[in-house]
Amino acid sequence: MEKEKKLIVDGKRADGRGMEDLRPLSIKAGVLKRADGSALIEWGRNKVLAAAYGPREVFPKHLSNVHKAIINCRYAMAPFSSIEEHGRSGPNRRAIEIGKVAKHVFENIVLTKQFPKTQIDISMEVLQSDGGTRVAGITAASVALADAGIPMKDLVQGVSLGRVEGQLVADLDKYEDNQGEADVPLIVSLRSREILLFQQDGMLTKEELARMFEMGFKGAEAVRAVQVQALKDRYYGPHELNEDG
Amino acid sequence: MKDFIVPGEVLYAEPRRFDGSFVEDNQTFSSVLSVKYDDKVVPLKGKYTPVVSDYVIGVIKEERFSGYEIDINSPYEGTLSSRDLRESFEVGQVVSAVIRAVDEVNEALLVEPRKLWGGHIVEVESVKIPRVIGRNNSMVMMLEQYTGSRIFVGKNGRIYVKGGNAALALLAILKIAKEAHVHGLTDRVKAFLEEEYRKAGKTPSASSSLLSEPAEAREERDESMP
Repeated sequence: MEKEKKLIVDGKRADGRGMEDLRPLSIKAGVLKRADGSALIEWGRNKVLAAAYGPREVFPKHLSNVHKAIINCRYAMAPFSSIEEHGRSGPNRRAIEIGKVAKHVFENIVLTKQFPKTQIDISMEVLQSDGGTRVAGITAASVALADAGIPMKDLVQGVSLGRVEGQLVADLDKYEDNQGEADVPLIVSLRSREILLFQQDGMLTKEELARMFEMGFKGAEAVRAVQVQALKDRYYGPHELNEDG
Repeated sequence: MKDFIVPGEVLYAEPRRFDGSFVEDNQTFSSVLSVKYDDKVVPLKGKYTPVVSDYVIGVIKEERFSGYEIDINSPYEGTLSSRDLRESFEVGQVVSAVIRAVDEVNEALLVEPRKLWGGHIVEVESVKIPRVIGRNNSMVMMLEQYTGSRIFVGKNGRIYVKGGNAALALLAILKIAKEAHVHGLTDRVKAFLEEEYRKAGKTPSASSSLLSEPAEAREERDESMP
């Protein structure tokens, strides 16, 4: 069966990218005054606002752990964020799951043992979505945590990967994600070469997965450079000595 | 030379332990945003964790039979034991105190509380406090000299300013906190203070200097300033 529109023509994807090219990416750190740390990421047509709070006193108190800080993670899509109707705001079933996997990422990367009996709150609010928002959200949250001065083993980042019309591609947009055969969000730590988040939708061979991890780590390097620049601009940027900071 | 450091970067090829770092595979990595000078790593941000013998400024949060709970601008609470106290406090009272002991979950036992009356409190990042104090108190002394204010710096990031040109002192402190990592801080703050006085049409030496303070004010200072 021939599809009406092809997603890949002459080795180029629908938006003109090559197979491993990422969409335009920019991050701004410190966008919220009342959060301890924050970041706004714009990745293609994705826009995610991340905020980090803490370490602070645990509420309710019985949830506290005397050995380490607990991490709360919230992911939510704004009602106006997507092409489809999302109904009312706040996390739905899908968002709660993403919050949970993001929490596991940060439990493995934040040095929680330095802050017993405290909690660290991370919030990721998707303002505009176009595929790969969980990866964009966690990448932004990682910048927000660094901006908050919360000790971590590494700045984490990632890309989404997938197979579209038989070809492996990086950083899928919404149509590639929906029409493609498989997609894999990946979050990694480049320092330790650890994979912190790996989810899969669709079937992939072993060889394809191995190739995807390669592409993922390569993409993460580009993402990390943007993260570092965003944090550096916060302190050494063109506006560093402005009156309103 | 100084470098901007993000979490996860290698700082030293051998294990060293200090705030804002962790050791893995016999290497030292950074764990927070920091600036690396020749052989020193200074964090740019971070919450205050209580350390024994630090002077802190706290706010009475709750009264209990056993004493008081005190907000010390930290994830952890301070407590004043009623055994050590001769006076009582109202909730909301601002006090300066010394940390006598810190337990295994970082809760601090405070002693020598002194009530702070009047004046202003300004909060800055606790990691910037060394720059507000300056080498051998030089920065605080300069601020006091130019503004005529009395300044008491709590290690937990709260600074108490009373009397003199307090508004200018607060502006200068915020400037220090914001620009602590940029080279030539002392000169810039000095220029800022002089500029502000020039704008106001006064000369700093004539209007301020601690020595021109009335004697009684100085006495009060000695009482309230630990």
